[in-house]
Amino acid sequence: MSTAEYESTAEYEGDVTVLEEQFTEQKSVGPIELESQDVSVWFGKRKVLEGVNIACPKNTVTALIGPSGCGKSTYIRTLNRLHELIPGAALAGSVLYEGKDIYDTDIDPVHIRLQIGMVFQKPNPFPSMTIRGNVLSGLKLSGLKRDQHDDIVEETLTSAGLWNEVKDRLDSAAGELSGGQQQRLVIARALAVQPHVLLMDEPCSALDPTSTLKIEETIRELSKDITIVIVTHNMQQAVRVSDYTAFFLAAENEPGYVIEQGPTTDIFGSPRDQRTLDYVNGRFG
Amino acid sequence: MTQVLDREQIAEWSGQQPQRPWTKKPARLQAWIAVAALLPSALVALIFTYTEIPGPILLVAVFFPLQLLAAGIAAIATKGRQGAADSVIIVLSVGATLFSFIILTSVLGSLIVRGIGALWGEDGFRSSFLFQNNVYINPSTPLEYGGLGHAVIGTVLIVLIASLIAVPIGIATAIYITEVRGRAVPYVRFFVQAMSGIPSIVAGLFILTVLIVSGAMNQSAFAGGLAYAILMLPTVARTAEEVLRLIPEELRTGALALGSTRARVVLRVVIPAAKTGVITAIILGVARVIGETAPLLLTSLKSDQTILNPLGNPIAALPTYIFDNVALPYPGAVTRAWGAALVLMILVLILFTLARILGRDRLNRFR
Amino acid sequence: MAAPPTETRRDLDSAATSHRGDRIFNRGITAAAFTALLVLAGIAIFLGIAAVEAITTQGWSFLFTTEWKVDQGDEPVAGIWGMLYGSVLLAVIGLVIAVPVSLLLSIFIVFLAPRRLARMMTNVIDLMAAIPSIILGLWAFYLLTPPAEQWQFLLNKYLGWIPIFQNESGNFNGTPFIAGFVLGFMMIPIITSVSREVLGRTPPELINAAEALGCSLWTMLRHVALPYGRGGIVGGIMLGLGRALGETIAIFFVLKLVYDINWYKIIESEGGSVATLIVATFGEVSGPYELNLLLAAGFFLFVGTLAVNVIANLIVQKTGRSER
Repeated sequence: MSTAEYESTAEYEGDVTVLEEQFTEQKSVGPIELESQDVSVWFGKRKVLEGVNIACPKNTVTALIGPSGCGKSTYIRTLNRLHELIPGAALAGSVLYEGKDIYDTDIDPVHIRLQIGMVFQKPNPFPSMTIRGNVLSGLKLSGLKRDQHDDIVEETLTSAGLWNEVKDRLDSAAGELSGGQQQRLVIARALAVQPHVLLMDEPCSALDPTSTLKIEETIRELSKDITIVIVTHNMQQAVRVSDYTAFFLAAENEPGYVIEQGPTTDIFGSPRDQRTLDYVNGRFG
Repeated sequence: MTQVLDREQIAEWSGQQPQRPWTKKPARLQAWIAVAALLPSALVALIFTYTEIPGPILLVAVFFPLQLLAAGIAAIATKGRQGAADSVIIVLSVGATLFSFIILTSVLGSLIVRGIGALWGEDGFRSSFLFQNNVYINPSTPLEYGGLGHAVIGTVLIVLIASLIAVPIGIATAIYITEVRGRAVPYVRFFVQAMSGIPSIVAGLFILTVLIVSGAMNQSAFAGGLAYAILMLPTVARTAEEVLRLIPEELRTGALALGSTRARVVLRVVIPAAKTGVITAIILGVARVIGETAPLLLTSLKSDQTILNPLGNPIAALPTYIFDNVALPYPGAVTRAWGAALVLMILVLILFTLARILGRDRLNRFR
Repeated sequence: MAAPPTETRRDLDSAATSHRGDRIFNRGITAAAFTALLVLAGIAIFLGIAAVEAITTQGWSFLFTTEWKVDQGDEPVAGIWGMLYGSVLLAVIGLVIAVPVSLLLSIFIVFLAPRRLARMMTNVIDLMAAIPSIILGLWAFYLLTPPAEQWQFLLNKYLGWIPIFQNESGNFNGTPFIAGFVLGFMMIPIITSVSREVLGRTPPELINAAEALGCSLWTMLRHVALPYGRGGIVGGIMLGLGRALGETIAIFFVLKLVYDINWYKIIESEGGSVATLIVATFGEVSGPYELNLLLAAGFFLFVGTLAVNVIANLIVQKTGRSER
């Protein structure tokens, strides 16, 4: 049926009420820390994302799922203004952090990136620095001043679940660590600049299952103080780790968009769109 | 309950235009940038008009530090201390680029401005400069008479001899590395690399010692060609190696599977496939040596006559022709030197451009 | 139970073959490939013989004397000390100019310039490398010297209290400063292409990590790109150095060759360079003995540039591999 017909049914009224309630419910979890409004993304002339509206409440974990290539990684890069560093990048819409649009002309992108950190798919500690040096590298790179470097190193490595393994060799090279350890080091490095939000782009996809579980534990712990947005291909991971989930999809040669989003239990337990159902049951992707 | 996207809403969003909000600078920053960019230039222009200080000194000693200072202050005022380092780097690197560009323009420009006098007389293009030789010319002879034809022939002869030696050996070296793949490959590469560092004068000295001093040969085009070959070989070998590496392995294995011998695979399959690359290697090798003067000063000397015999007599060549005419106190001779330099540079440019064009085609073939 | 069959391992050597034509082909190609070694050895031997003769007749002072009196007949005394030092001094002056300019150029090309400009600049720099040295020598003599004389005059006038800017002769041509300047310009394309390549290979994931942590251009360069590219850049600098040490013609007309050492007065009209000595003296060689001395000088030049070059290539290769 067409939109007009749908809007005249009683079902529509009911749906709207539910949506409004659920939206209020979502917002009553706490203030929205990070929210995108009608964000569309282009690379040159090619539109890769269409009208993404996602609100992430404070201290929750939001998972972004969907088949590869539908723009999830591009999307999170608009949240910490890394997107604009790619030649030809453009966007429309706004991204609100603590209520303010991060793309306002008087906002310093460095400030945003300190508040909204990022962990990448492939662990990327700086090979020319020691473990200690890596953790503190954010301070050197951004010019942020903090005291008590030793305390910072211990705190962040503990939060990242790596302290016990490396406390005796803080001055050894970061390249000697295993993949899982490197990724935890990277998390500690991101934490050292005290972000309020942590974006994670498939942080476990290059790691073995044991490291993956350790990092998932870390994520759940961190989410008590930090809002986390995680892109993942692993649906069980999304279930284990996140409070809210958004499902992205893109048809061939078309921009990606969010088909369905909501509490994780609902997305996986009772999705309303057929495509979501198919995806979470592994029928494609 | 979950939120499902209403497809109709997409129509709304399609009206959005792509924007780049990060490129908009707040008014305050724009004002600072304008000041930082214009103030130093204005100041320097004033100083230049009212004092005697020469241009280049003004640029380096006054304008540059002023611009640095202005950029630094502007950055600190708008972005804080972090921004200052960035603007300093930007100003310095733009400065370095301008510096190199100015010198390069001066070099190339001087060639044209000062050399054109030899090639262009009152009656237009002076082909005599290109074709005649120096036999009856002395430094004060007017430019209508005489030319560098003999030098051009000499250069061609010497480069030809060098190529006949260096090209087959260079390609053979590359074949050893990529096709034969013997156990000595790392050593061969090491030797070729070491050879590429031989100063041109040492190459000349070597040929001088081995062939001329020992009496086996006179100074001649052949000796010069041998010296050039030493300098050309590493370039040809290295470029040919790069090019042969690009040939996909399937070509070789396919030919072998058809029962071809190794030698035929290389000669009939791989080399033809790498044709343009091999030609590029040769061109680059020629471009590398064509302007080398020092080795010729020791091996082929100079001459005023047009000589076609590669053995037995000293012979003229473009670089040595320039060398002879450079410091003479006669403006005519100096113009000849510039004219010859212009001709030499044009030759190098042609070779360079040819190599570039061929190189691009080569890359496109395998995409 | 029967004993298991024994295995004999057969190494399959890809170069070995039983086909006669191929064997000839392989032998021929291998022989050709060793030409490089042959030439290097040949130079070392032939020039080395001359060097040995020079040392036996002059003693090791050949390397440490600054006189050149060879046409005395009885007691020739000759040494290349001034030239050796001069070559190094000129190269250092060249490096002082070339290294900052090249680094800044490569930073500009890799991190600042828009793509099309970067490509154009790369081509222009390759063109710079192709300019024959005689043309640079010509340019230096006629176009660089006049303004340079003026600059040096002013340097001496206002900063002459600094030892390196002293000048007694009142002449400002043929100075190490001018010759060094030309060498610097020659080194720029070499150092820039190597640096550019190395910096361009900085792993994007490291740059992304730095960006996500709020880096600025300078902090990214200082903590990520330059540490990564350090080895390659040093290698490139040494390659440029090797080139400068052996350069003859570009500085031939703009260096006043003097046998005494000019230690530090870079705007004084006297200097030395082994390569220039050889070319300058060759035309008027008084006899086979003097020629032999020049060959000996060539030997030391060969050894010096070879050493620098080999070290440079080792550095460049080693850092290339360790980044895997």
